[in-house]
Amino acid sequence: MEKAKHYKVGTEEQQLYLKDYNIAPKGCAFLEPGVYAKDAKEFVAFNIAKSFYQVYPEVFNLPYIAKKVGLKEDEIKRRIKRMYDERLFMLVSNSYVGIMGFGLYYWVVKLKDDTTREEREALTKWMQDNDQICTGYMMEEGGDFDYFNGNHMRNLDNLVYGVLDKFRFNRCVEYVHILPIRRLVRESHVNMFDAKENVGHYFWSDEQKEKVLKIQNKMDKYDFAIIDAINNCESVGDMFDYDVLARLSGLDAKEMKEDIIKIVDEQKTIIPMIYFNYASLGLKLHFFVVSLFQNTPTYRAEQICDELAQDPAFENIFDCSDGHHNYVLSVYDGITDIDKIRQKILGYGEVIEVLEADSPRQFRRRTCRLDDKNGYYEECIFTDDVLLDRSKE
Amino acid sequence: MKILEARDYVVKNLKYALNPQSIAVVGASRYPTKVGYKVVYELMKWGFKGEIYPVNPRAKEILGKKCYPTLKDVDKPVDLVFVAVPAHLVTSIVNDAIAIKAKVLVVATSAFKEIGREKLQNDIVETCRKAKLPLIGPNLVGLGSPYEHFNCGFIPYLPVEGPIAMISQSGANLLAALGTSQAEHFGMSFFVGLGNKADVDFAEFIEFAGQDEHTKCLSIYIEGLDSPEAFIKSCKMVDKPIVVIKVGGSKIGVKAAFAHTASENPNSDDYYDKIIHEAGAIRAKTRQEFLDVSLALGYLPPLKGDRVVMITNGGGAGLLSCDHFERLGMPLHELKEISPALAQRIRAYMPMFGSPLNPVDISGTANVIQYKGAFQQALRDPNVDGVLGAICPTAVTDVLGVAKAAIEVYESTKKLNKPFIMICQGGQECHEAIKLLREHGIPAYPTAEQAVNAMVALYNYGKNK
Repeated sequence: MEKAKHYKVGTEEQQLYLKDYNIAPKGCAFLEPGVYAKDAKEFVAFNIAKSFYQVYPEVFNLPYIAKKVGLKEDEIKRRIKRMYDERLFMLVSNSYVGIMGFGLYYWVVKLKDDTTREEREALTKWMQDNDQICTGYMMEEGGDFDYFNGNHMRNLDNLVYGVLDKFRFNRCVEYVHILPIRRLVRESHVNMFDAKENVGHYFWSDEQKEKVLKIQNKMDKYDFAIIDAINNCESVGDMFDYDVLARLSGLDAKEMKEDIIKIVDEQKTIIPMIYFNYASLGLKLHFFVVSLFQNTPTYRAEQICDELAQDPAFENIFDCSDGHHNYVLSVYDGITDIDKIRQKILGYGEVIEVLEADSPRQFRRRTCRLDDKNGYYEECIFTDDVLLDRSKE
Repeated sequence: MKILEARDYVVKNLKYALNPQSIAVVGASRYPTKVGYKVVYELMKWGFKGEIYPVNPRAKEILGKKCYPTLKDVDKPVDLVFVAVPAHLVTSIVNDAIAIKAKVLVVATSAFKEIGREKLQNDIVETCRKAKLPLIGPNLVGLGSPYEHFNCGFIPYLPVEGPIAMISQSGANLLAALGTSQAEHFGMSFFVGLGNKADVDFAEFIEFAGQDEHTKCLSIYIEGLDSPEAFIKSCKMVDKPIVVIKVGGSKIGVKAAFAHTASENPNSDDYYDKIIHEAGAIRAKTRQEFLDVSLALGYLPPLKGDRVVMITNGGGAGLLSCDHFERLGMPLHELKEISPALAQRIRAYMPMFGSPLNPVDISGTANVIQYKGAFQQALRDPNVDGVLGAICPTAVTDVLGVAKAAIEVYESTKKLNKPFIMICQGGQECHEAIKLLREHGIPAYPTAEQAVNAMVALYNYGKNK
């Protein structure tokens, strides 16, 4: 049997098998060549940091952050601890689901006008508690749609039976539109693997940076600068203090550092990052679900996506295919000029429709629950469907 | 890691492992599907009376109990620290456990020596040994005691109270025994999974069990024996029967044992035969034999001689038994050789076509009165060392009635200190009878071979003793 060719995003070896097979990977996560399981030794530095940063902020590279931010290390420690305790952020890692062999599927849900408050609350609770939904947003009433959720999955039957049917056959649901993600361009302000440029870069617009300091008092400019320093470090080798990780774990600092550099900097299979929990600052996300005319050529759709991605104001940029809608974009309400963004989107003649809604609440982020009110902040639940047949559940 | 003999501080502290006043569960989870949730849940469900301190930096409360970010934040004394977090977190937790002066550390976490992280495991053990903090595990399922209503681990059962201390490297086999305990009344004094037994070794639990008032028999499942000298020494110190099953002797089993619990088996299986023999323990070959023999040794006194009388209503069960007795090197004697008077007296409890040989066949028509009389006669005869009874249900057999009669006779002759074992071979009524008999301290089995194995083990223990 021919030795498997590794998938290395951003290198000359990127998915070499595509020379033989013109299809995207569709496999079983860590069994795909070049992919590491989340509990593999290559991940261990991240896993240690993820387990300890709540109590030991020094897992982050404090000297590096101090230099970037201009504060003393103790002060940075104190601020990181406070920001975590106030649920303002969370250390997460985004896996490149495409390379792992999963599909990334989102869906947008619109409720009927006669849906009662109780019915809406029941559906919201079901979504919050549903371990088959890895990421989800609830919208305010009165918008063009009511929920935007997603999951990484291998098997479309599982998506249909396990999730979509639950909406389709609900009395209150007017429609559920599936949004298969073709390119994950930006998530939580960080450019993801499918961005044309600046992969791993953390963005905020100048307008947002300025306004966010004026509309709330939980985070000051130094707090934002700390997150910026962590998320924008050139190499994951600068993100953590590997000696601290070694002291806490008993494992070898040098080996851990080399391992994680390999999978983050070189192979780009994960992006560790700080997720900024907008809801805890009282911010809302304003979503745009954008549809293009069906006769828009693929290359043009991607050009538009890349042009939009030049704007640092976007918090999320999802590029979709095989569905009614082409992009899902979001920006923070209150600190972003929504009209300007809307005009920018509508400025493209290829756009046929834009749906809009405001989200004051995110249910989960990449498998991590965010509902602190229920006592589940940062509870991470595996939501994937590997080896499962949910059509029989 | 090797020890030459059981360490006093470890044996002394094991009381905190099985009867702690307070437990910190590190890695306690808010989610019902996770191990860390189950540990807290099972402690509460089975009625643990001490304090439970969940530790998880992400949670504020778990199952209604205040949650602490780290062990060091628990501002009360902690006897036992149970660890259910990934391996890369354990070093830090060990240091915290030492800092708070915990009495014993139980590490459920896998992914140490068994996957090549020998250095990490050894470093942790050395830290614990330096601080005199006994570490049980890693890579284990849990531990507990029905007498203390204590179920600590991801174990869905608590066994019924009884005389057997189950010390097992394998979690799965321990769980299997625990799972059948309720249904089949396999009574335990305590149970512990040792996993990789990186620090606390068999020897220390053997000595602890030797001192434990509820333990009458030690049942030990071994995958690897790092410290044979300590094992032998501790076994010899304990004046209680010890049953051992040693696995990993096959060619591929050697590799499987390492992958499972990092157990190394450089020697042939004969080597372990010698070790176990030198220790004065009884070696079982199969898991069923291990449980059967343990049950008998736990409940009954040793068999002082080989004069066993078998009373049955089925000739077939009798034949299976006498053949198996002979195979095991303890052939039955004819009844007239054992006690000519008994051979005469026992005729009163059988029809004319019954057989007063040995096995004594009181026939398929035997009723409760006949069974009871035959049991009484045999147990009271001074020439008889032990009695094996068998119930083979026919249309006229009152199975539960016979079982109750056996219990009555056993209770009234207990002072004679003679083993009394029962076979109940058949359907559901036999299953119920077995359970009833076991509840009253009579080892009962569904097959003749199991019962004979048990009786011979009692004999061998009596001889060794």
